[in-house]
Amino acid sequence: MVAEKITIEPVTRIEGHAKVTIRMKDDGTVDHAYFHVNEFRGFEKFCEGRMVFEMPLITPRICGICPVSHHLASAKAGDEILGAPPPRPASLLRELMHMGQTIQSHGMHFFELAGPDLILGFDADPAVRNVVGLLQADPELTVKAVNLRKWGQEIIRILGGRRIHPNFAIPGGVNKALTKDERDAILAGYEEALETTKTALKIMYGWAEANAEDINKFAVFPSGYFGLVKPGNTLELYNGDIRLIGSDGKELEKFDPRNYLDYIAEHVESWSYLKFPYYKKMGYPQGVYRVGPLGRCNTSEKIATPLADAELKKFKQFNGGKPVENTLHFHTARLIETLYAIENVKVLLDDADIMSNDILNTCRDPKPYGVGVIEAPRGTLIHHYWMNENQQIEKVNLIVATGHNNWAMSEAVDSVAKTYIQGPDVTEGMLNRVEAAIRAHDPCLSCSTHAIGQMPIILEIRDSSDELVKTITRD
Amino acid sequence: MVKTLVFGYGNADRQDDGVAWHVLHEVMRRNGLDVSDDLDIECSDEVNQVDYLFLLQLTPELADDLKIYDRVCFVDAHTGAVPEEVHVEKVELGFQKSPFTHHLTPSSLLSIADTINHAVPETLLVSVRGYEFGFSQSLSSKTSLLIEKAADIIMNWLNQK
Repeated sequence: MVAEKITIEPVTRIEGHAKVTIRMKDDGTVDHAYFHVNEFRGFEKFCEGRMVFEMPLITPRICGICPVSHHLASAKAGDEILGAPPPRPASLLRELMHMGQTIQSHGMHFFELAGPDLILGFDADPAVRNVVGLLQADPELTVKAVNLRKWGQEIIRILGGRRIHPNFAIPGGVNKALTKDERDAILAGYEEALETTKTALKIMYGWAEANAEDINKFAVFPSGYFGLVKPGNTLELYNGDIRLIGSDGKELEKFDPRNYLDYIAEHVESWSYLKFPYYKKMGYPQGVYRVGPLGRCNTSEKIATPLADAELKKFKQFNGGKPVENTLHFHTARLIETLYAIENVKVLLDDADIMSNDILNTCRDPKPYGVGVIEAPRGTLIHHYWMNENQQIEKVNLIVATGHNNWAMSEAVDSVAKTYIQGPDVTEGMLNRVEAAIRAHDPCLSCSTHAIGQMPIILEIRDSSDELVKTITRD
Repeated sequence: MVKTLVFGYGNADRQDDGVAWHVLHEVMRRNGLDVSDDLDIECSDEVNQVDYLFLLQLTPELADDLKIYDRVCFVDAHTGAVPEEVHVEKVELGFQKSPFTHHLTPSSLLSIADTINHAVPETLLVSVRGYEFGFSQSLSSKTSLLIEKAADIIMNWLNQK
């Protein structure tokens, strides 16, 4: 048999260009699988010359799914660069908005992206293995799922004045206080959101129990883990230190996020436009790590809210207290974080400062650069700006979660391809598992794109001389 | 009175990808509404019962919002996948899988709406050819020339009450 190369390539219009290439050996087994991404550096250039205070409004336009993460990371960088730390009530309100973002993004991922695989099955007919099929299989649950995402969006809308791109956080604080009516409107959705997420966790645990074989052979590999924590190594999504642990669970570093360049470097591979961040002291690839829900639940030792903390304790037992290496447990970790975000909404709304009008620090002590770091739903997001004397941006460095997880996604794709694909007769279910290895990380590849008509997966099978043998297009 | 939504989506920072924003502005101007430079549009023409919405992308919970409308006109860009420079079609129910992304089509959104609302509005998709997708809020000259035609189509549709 001739060695072959299989390419899975979703066709997108602008920045969302990613594909998977699977190189086959002569004996029909997988030699290696690669995940390629076009890096999103254009936006950094686009920001040069803009005023610092404009950045929280410009950078959310990178993405229609996690704009709040960019909005808040940008505002945090602005706080630093203008030397204007926000008053406590402003930080609480920003965190509240961030919880809304986490809830809507995680909720959408579990129910609409991962849910069809988990609830309907990896091998289900692709005609029904989607959110509509899920709706038809369990209408009541999925209406609640839509409501969960809607509640998260509503928190963002109430605070930011609009549903997608908020105008709320500004360097030094926020531009609007929370009223009692707004607080009550958010609280009205709390119980249902909590119940929906508890139900999702039950589904996840049930699925994990019934599919233990898949869980334990689907992209299970060691790595470092990386995420923000509060004192006591408590899970943190808005503001804290970065904790990096090794594959054995031992702490390698805990550092102020502003100093990220002292700890992180980026490796370049010829087959991907996206760089591979790694821990400098260990080098590449020994120093690679994972971010996002799995990274955060591994780096955290506890969670500040009771229900989520109880779930984290269960999570920690999946691998006997050592870091959980199973890619499919990204989904479990994501739901634990959703539970935390919902509980934290209540905590924040019950805080005596939440309706304070002390929301903006107008003092200024400018510095030439500033770093804003936040835990976006899909992982650690770093905004780093350099400013000139006219308060214009001279240079921007953005490290997004999809970049941090680049190695992990490549490793997961390689692992799943080798585990499930035998020979060139690739079934739809096998192909779907390869895609699911990427989906588990919830990457943001083409959030800003859309296209009329079809967005097919093109699967190319090539022989060892790179000649096209056949093309399979899957809508 | 018939309740209508004119719903554009795209990335207005990516040149022709945001052509729907420009089309909505043209339709709003023709209907005597004020327009601003704000890249998000969410406004109501209460006299004619027409709402205008422009967002970066479609998301599932928007399906719930569709339940109050009798008619929805989606406005989008295309890259030449269809032959017409201004393509018009009725949106059919259907689901399009997007394996790596958060992409959602009007058909998928309509399917979600049908399942949760047990009803769907009458629909139209007006898709305008985009030629350049750089980092700019200005359209390419070729796409700019298509705004009038797209607006004419939407105006005719709006007047068919």
